[in-house]
Amino acid sequence: MGAISAIGSSVTENRMALMQDKCGIGPLELFATRYASLLPFGEIKSTNTFLQEQLKAHEPGLTRTTLLALHAFDEAIADARLSPLQVQEFETALIGATTVGGMCLTDQLYHDANKTEDGSEFLASYDCASVNLYLQKRYGINGIVNTFNTACSSSANAILYGARLIKNGFAERAIVGGVDSLAKFTINGFNSLHILSPDKCTPFDEQRKGLNLGEGAAFLVLEKEENIAGKKRYAELTGYCNTNDAYHASSLSNEGDGPFLAMEGALAQAGLSPADISFINAHGTGTENNDLSESRAMLRLFETVPAFASTKANTGHTLGAAGAIEAVYSILNLVHQEVYASLHFNQAIAATGLQPVQSQKQMPLKHVMSNSFGFGGNCASLIFSKADQ
Amino acid sequence: METVQLKQQLKKQIVEFLNLINVKPEDIKDDEPLFGTGLGLDSIDSIELIVLLNREYGITIQDPKEGRKILVDINTMADYIEKHRTK
Amino acid sequence: MFYIHQSSCISAQQTFGTAAIASLQDAVNNRLQVIEPSYEGIPTGILRRMGKAIRMGVGAALPLIKGSVAIDGIIIGTANGGMEDCIKFLNQIIEYDEGMLTPTNFVQSTTNAIAAQIGLLSVNKGYNATHVQRGLAFENALLDAAMLLKENAAASYLVGGVDEISAYNYNIDYLDGWFKKQPLAAKDLYSSNTAGSMAGEGATMFLVNNKPEGAAARVAGLCLLHTGDETLLAAQLELFLKKHLPAGEQIDLLLSGEDGDNRLNKFYDAVESVLDNHAAVARFKHMMGEYATVTAAAVWLAVSVLKNQTVPLHMIKKDAKPSAYQRILISNNHKGRQHSFILVENTR
Repeated sequence: MGAISAIGSSVTENRMALMQDKCGIGPLELFATRYASLLPFGEIKSTNTFLQEQLKAHEPGLTRTTLLALHAFDEAIADARLSPLQVQEFETALIGATTVGGMCLTDQLYHDANKTEDGSEFLASYDCASVNLYLQKRYGINGIVNTFNTACSSSANAILYGARLIKNGFAERAIVGGVDSLAKFTINGFNSLHILSPDKCTPFDEQRKGLNLGEGAAFLVLEKEENIAGKKRYAELTGYCNTNDAYHASSLSNEGDGPFLAMEGALAQAGLSPADISFINAHGTGTENNDLSESRAMLRLFETVPAFASTKANTGHTLGAAGAIEAVYSILNLVHQEVYASLHFNQAIAATGLQPVQSQKQMPLKHVMSNSFGFGGNCASLIFSKADQ
Repeated sequence: METVQLKQQLKKQIVEFLNLINVKPEDIKDDEPLFGTGLGLDSIDSIELIVLLNREYGITIQDPKEGRKILVDINTMADYIEKHRTK
Repeated sequence: MFYIHQSSCISAQQTFGTAAIASLQDAVNNRLQVIEPSYEGIPTGILRRMGKAIRMGVGAALPLIKGSVAIDGIIIGTANGGMEDCIKFLNQIIEYDEGMLTPTNFVQSTTNAIAAQIGLLSVNKGYNATHVQRGLAFENALLDAAMLLKENAAASYLVGGVDEISAYNYNIDYLDGWFKKQPLAAKDLYSSNTAGSMAGEGATMFLVNNKPEGAAARVAGLCLLHTGDETLLAAQLELFLKKHLPAGEQIDLLLSGEDGDNRLNKFYDAVESVLDNHAAVARFKHMMGEYATVTAAAVWLAVSVLKNQTVPLHMIKKDAKPSAYQRILISNNHKGRQHSFILVENTR
């Protein structure tokens, strides 16, 4: 696995931060926007120059989104001890996700879209595919390469697509994940919908005021069950499901149909019942709409809602990276048999009475569910299970 | 500007701003509900109308919920504009 | 792999409703822009918000989702989604210096908006995915559908490819050298011997499942490749044909993605050299234009040829006069790096 977020530049750093209730959300220091002093963000405090140096990535046209992806990708393949040749095998797939792509470069995009001469070095870097196309080229990847954009559930879908490629015989191994960097496009987009909170977000709290945007990336290496002899294994991906809420372009239905069906489908796929879930890494963005709909869906599905928390209070909402980063966190839960506090929670939502985990603790965990629900009603639910030793 | 003129202008602006295909400004009644029934606008439209009020009349409404109390029909909108416009 | 039962295509040619592709609609200013239908099936309250990409996508999907076959999921491939809306929002950001902005452009610009709108209109809560891998976005959507049909044998899915020409992404691709510097007529595209092609746009949708009865065609094979090496491409095609063609069978027609960009000819020459003289060769980008998900339109054309057993004259590069069109190979590349082979077979 590999991960970078506002609370750490590696999986280990992220875990340490989670254990210490560290919140990476605060004032912007690097990114320039009118909202820098008005809203808090989960910013990664590494400049693009620093990332380029560290990653030895100096080709023209590299966006911050690509650099963050490269960082997490490198960590993941090193952690999985994959040789360059293994990465290049026809049976190794690369499935990524991003909602921003190169659109973090607002000014350059504005220029290139409107002017008829002097194109910038980023002409081929604006779309979502540019990230994985760079990784494909840099590492000579020959297997199936794909990118998802299903808003907030993008990288959860990338993970489940990679798993299905393996299951259906189109790959033996899949490097899966997602990335997003801060961009004026998303900052202003979410702000125009009035769902950005002026304070640090408070998922599942009665007084919640909205979400904080964050940036980050994570990749995981999925290996076919038959091929794992002698390899380090963190967890098993046992269940997954993609559904659509089909209610509204930018909000979830009151009863959380899409979320309910996704969770139910993942359980069915895993051959588990709701009572088997030890812990849920919730989508929990801190918006009025999501947290209520998600809560209702959980209440509908689980006779007793299991322990749950939202790590978006630590990292912010990392959009295209959320599914993958939270998958890494869910796996950390299982590996270390621990759960982390859902930060800044004060008072349960009156209509549900649900309280997330409020302090870090050790607890027996067998199956952890990770949920991602997004714009366009795109919902995805993943279930990770403790690996047999 | 006369209230009648303002209402006419407002209807035209709403139709253009929200791209209301097949709706003629003059067909919108002054007391026809904008949301729910009547014109049938939704929550995204209420946000858009708040932006319209800001761009055309210099009015700032921070909270969309507050906005819904003003955006009931053409009458309430025109009334609010007359009292609060800065442009 | 799976069967195509219904298809729908909105393109620069007369492909929607009653198709009439024998006569060629010409490009205007190097753009092959779609002939838009009336979109009667889309409620005006929703239509008013839609940018062209979403209108086209939903418009092409409607005849298929309103049909008698229930759909279990929606899979769309698109490189840019609602790019026009995206840039409109961007322009707002610059013009109003990040001040108060209208959200519709933002919400409509997200690439998953097409699949989401189709899901909304059909109240479909099943699998819903948007693949955005540029020149292989549609191919990944097809692969996704193939896997879904393996996993859910009795299901049916809507799968499609959509991309629009917006003034903006035309500009970006123009600056990057992908379009001709001078305008020319569609019929002169292949003889131009210069770099770049002509911009296209379109929305093509298919209803697919595992049932052979009543099917219009069968997607028998699919190959996705990233390479800049035409020798490797030819070798992969040999493997592909060996894998998917039964002994003694041949390709009757090559639908080639040749696009008039002379830098890319080497790839199409390599592909043609692998096929024997039995295969006729036809081209489609003078009709559809060049865009990331144009292979969806190519599949629609393949289905049309299989049904009518005729290829419009203006498409033919090499006429081998096969006794029947039974097996059609689509070979395409996007910007010289992303390649695909799609094998479409007759079921009759």
